[in-house]
Amino acid sequence: MWRRGMITRLIVLVVVGFVVIGPLVGTVIWSFAVKWYWPNPLPQELGLKYWANAFGKRSQVLGALGVSMAIALIVVAAALLVSIPAGYALARLNVPWKKAMLVLFLMPQAFPQLPVFITMSSIFYRLNIAGTVVGVTLAHLVVSLVYSVWITTATFKSVPAILEDAAVNLGCTRLKAFFTITLPLAIPGLIASAIFVFLNSLDEFTGTFFIGSPYVRTLPVLMYTASMGYNMQAASVIAVMLTIPSLVFMAVLEKFLKAEYIHGLGV
Amino acid sequence: MAGAHPQAQTEDQLVVRQDRPNYAALLLVLPALALLAVLYLYPLVSSIWMSLVSGEGLGLANYRKAFSLYWVDMVYTVAIAILSQVLVFVTSVSIAGYLRFEKWPLLNLLYRLPLFIPFLIVGHSMRVFLAPHGVMNMMISRVTGIRELPGLAFGWEGLVISYVWKQFPLATLLMLGAFESISDSMIEAAQNLGCSRTRAILSILLPISSPTVMVAMVLTFVSTIGCLSIPLLVGAAKPVMLPVDMSFRVTYFNDWGVANALGVISYLIVVALAYYYLTHMTREEGV
Repeated sequence: MWRRGMITRLIVLVVVGFVVIGPLVGTVIWSFAVKWYWPNPLPQELGLKYWANAFGKRSQVLGALGVSMAIALIVVAAALLVSIPAGYALARLNVPWKKAMLVLFLMPQAFPQLPVFITMSSIFYRLNIAGTVVGVTLAHLVVSLVYSVWITTATFKSVPAILEDAAVNLGCTRLKAFFTITLPLAIPGLIASAIFVFLNSLDEFTGTFFIGSPYVRTLPVLMYTASMGYNMQAASVIAVMLTIPSLVFMAVLEKFLKAEYIHGLGV
Repeated sequence: MAGAHPQAQTEDQLVVRQDRPNYAALLLVLPALALLAVLYLYPLVSSIWMSLVSGEGLGLANYRKAFSLYWVDMVYTVAIAILSQVLVFVTSVSIAGYLRFEKWPLLNLLYRLPLFIPFLIVGHSMRVFLAPHGVMNMMISRVTGIRELPGLAFGWEGLVISYVWKQFPLATLLMLGAFESISDSMIEAAQNLGCSRTRAILSILLPISSPTVMVAMVLTFVSTIGCLSIPLLVGAAKPVMLPVDMSFRVTYFNDWGVANALGVISYLIVVALAYYYLTHMTREEGV
């Protein structure tokens, strides 16, 4: 009986392994392939040539990485800045029309985002911020609000309100109690929210494609251009670069892994 | 509520205080709300407005043009999304059901991998993997000796494979969570009466967790319908998914009216699902 079970497990593992890992392995191999002609199952020549190119002096990749990182960090800062007060109020205070507000913050996830980006690009064009880093940052920010507002709200709900009330009873001001008690206790959740926002911005393609083109080239846009031009090695190098942070952060964040949040990554 | 001062108030007053809306708290939500209103709601409303404005003035001209030019793509998009959805459902119910009964950490880890891969990279990886001379065919050729295998990329097969690959882990993760919250005693009772595992999944686990299953289906369906990068990278030249039509309508024809009409049509395709999702999520949060 146990042998039949083992064989079934082995078959399941091989099938799932091939299906799930296969496409990724292909991309990783391509990133190290210097020469790879059909019908060889493995590249004729392996090497770090395209990785060296990506980090070389005349590379567009480093520039794009810088732009991507800068946008992502600004988006994280802005998202936290508006989400901490909003999340606190939605979690603790009796805000009027609370339900309607939470629905509004979820809407970008409940409907396709593409039409909004298309219209946003025409609005930004009139405002002269289409094709600029400012425009792209704003586009990333609006999509990030879903994660940051919902995660910070959940975080502040999980911090017992009674701790802050106790401090206030003993003569502490509400503001001081927030900064010395509630905020430090909420830090893990806020870091999780920051990481989700960071990854979402780093991987964002559609909004950048419409609002940033042709001047703002982030890593995903560069990868798309390379892949469409059948520059498989260059595209695969960027694909691997973009995947590593997600895998690392998500391994760290296992505890906060709520499926709805990660789902929208990199649309 | 946060302003409550338990010693100074009787319980009655506390309740009154909780019920009274705190308008000052609106100020805390205001910055986030303003960003959302300006950057999301305004474009959303103006995309609906722009879809109604054409050279002939206000009317449905853009929609007539959208239907006459793109009706094949509309049917294609819905068909591909539904086919992918059926496969996502079957795959995720099987894996979540299996993992509900058998603890298998390796499989539990393995199936989650695509969750962390952004859509764009899924598109590129599938392009590399499924092309006629792609990585998959090279491997199969080596094992079987068959030289010229058909490629699966650049057609409906590639699209369906890519969508299912990206979406099934989310559905599985959500469903497994719901399945695991159902107590063993209920399942054991059924099994004692001769119920098989498959039957237990279909007639106990699935019906009890149907709200979660619905949420999983809504989220995956909406993002399949709205995804641009995967169809750009692995789709055929014709027919194409609606997001590609929208994008081309703007970049090649500078035709915002028809692009937005297509956008509104894509909203209408998902509107019932979106409504379910939004009401469910706010109910879950207990607000």
